[in-house]
Amino acid sequence: MAHTAGLTVFAVVMTERHLDEAVAARLGRAGADKVLSCEGRGLAAPPLDLTHGPALYAAVERIPPLLVLFPAGGAGPQLGPGLASRLGGAYAASADLELGEAATPLADGIGRVFVRRWRADRTSYRRLDPVELERPVVAILPAGGPPGDRGSSEVDVEVITCVPPAKVGVVEVASEVDTLAVAALASVLIVVDPALGPSALAKLSAAAPAGIAVVDAVAGAPAIATAIPRVVIAVGRASAVCGTPRSRVGAVLAAAAPRPQKGAADVLLRVPAGAPADADKMIDELAASLPALAAATGAGAAP
Amino acid sequence: MNIVACLHAPPPDPDGTGLGRDDIHALAQALALAEATSGQVTALLAGTSHESGPLQRALVAGAARAVRLGGEDYASVDFHTLGQALASGIKRIGADLVVAGARSDDEGLGAVPASAARHLGFAYIGNVEELAAAGPRAIEVVVRGGGRKRRLRVDLPAVIAIVPATSGLPPASDRTGNPSEVELLTLNDPETTVVRRRTELLGKPEPASRGTEEVKAASELIAALTR
Repeated sequence: MAHTAGLTVFAVVMTERHLDEAVAARLGRAGADKVLSCEGRGLAAPPLDLTHGPALYAAVERIPPLLVLFPAGGAGPQLGPGLASRLGGAYAASADLELGEAATPLADGIGRVFVRRWRADRTSYRRLDPVELERPVVAILPAGGPPGDRGSSEVDVEVITCVPPAKVGVVEVASEVDTLAVAALASVLIVVDPALGPSALAKLSAAAPAGIAVVDAVAGAPAIATAIPRVVIAVGRASAVCGTPRSRVGAVLAAAAPRPQKGAADVLLRVPAGAPADADKMIDELAASLPALAAATGAGAAP
Repeated sequence: MNIVACLHAPPPDPDGTGLGRDDIHALAQALALAEATSGQVTALLAGTSHESGPLQRALVAGAARAVRLGGEDYASVDFHTLGQALASGIKRIGADLVVAGARSDDEGLGAVPASAARHLGFAYIGNVEELAAAGPRAIEVVVRGGGRKRRLRVDLPAVIAIVPATSGLPPASDRTGNPSEVELLTLNDPETTVVRRRTELLGKPEPASRGTEEVKAASELIAALTR
């Protein structure tokens, strides 16, 4: 989209030591025109505004950009709000990009990129125009699967040496693998109400192809809060319907369950009233449909 | 430990909690921490007198004070302005720790706490799911990111944005929320003039054309979602 609009794409990488050439080449093939490598002690750790915010701001000041985009499942939720605040720009925690026509014609070969930001209740959206705002827009994009090859592995790398803040005020006490990390990266998220019992979660998890994450609505709440999938299917009570503003949201609810709030779900499937076997049958049918869902959305496709 | 819990007045919803999207979790974490540290929680909201419901709810739940930041129409301001206004109020109240719901504003941005932190000069940690005391001038938080679930010790003062965890709002104490107990704080002196930004005003909201389509089978559900 940026190349269509005649814009330049900078990839910003945080690293503790010299950036691996293979990483730079991969970013080039994914479409980056230039790589800014922020190198400094502690920058290889998971990002926090305290530790990484100043380095990111230093990189962004070099450009300066119209748009700062974070990928889903990345550093956006930690670094995006602080960066937008420092830049005095707009922020979109869950956004789509649009290529559109400017109200006034721009130079040949230059289009206009808009950011579409939905309200949390999905009732409306704002179209933010960074050119009109005269301030950058910081946004987190939805999960979209592996990138294709759109550029060249021959890419310029500019190194920015970052001095760590004199006093950070944060120390890591413990760390473990995040078992819910897959939900933050998934382009399709299935949220299962635990009231349905463990077998529903187990069946759907077993049937889910790569790129589709299945999580418990309660135990997975922290990851669901930060996930930006393209498709969400909530299975269970209406209260489990928790799609992000920009997602296509499906709900599979019992016949007697209250209808989701207006606009909360795009597609509703009611489990027929009757024996519990009907609910089990619906879960089985949904599980059997997941490969088709993965194929249709491109979830987990090979790069 | 003085803890300020920043709340947001959500749109009217008869089935809702009366609190912003993640505020119920922020308030629960703040109250639990205050109890563990013999501290106190002050609930703070920027809005009109008609929007003070969350403050009354906080008093019922156990907050020691509830303060409404008035004198301005905050309904249409952007997160920069709201963060600056809240920071001005927090400076007047005094705080070691500020907690807020990560996605409690109507657009679910989660940027107000970061803006408040910048104006306060406090450290900012986003997407915190657990909060615990770690001595008189520090807390421990649990955050996810980079494929890790980490427990961090954070020096105070700090602003923490809370995401849902499994904890809910503690049972209400035996006190009752008296609306007259909500204090009014106005930012009407020159030193606390709020600078209005126009960052968001040019992006006008557009109506969504979303309805709910009912289907009869799982295969139809998949087809409709990917159409």
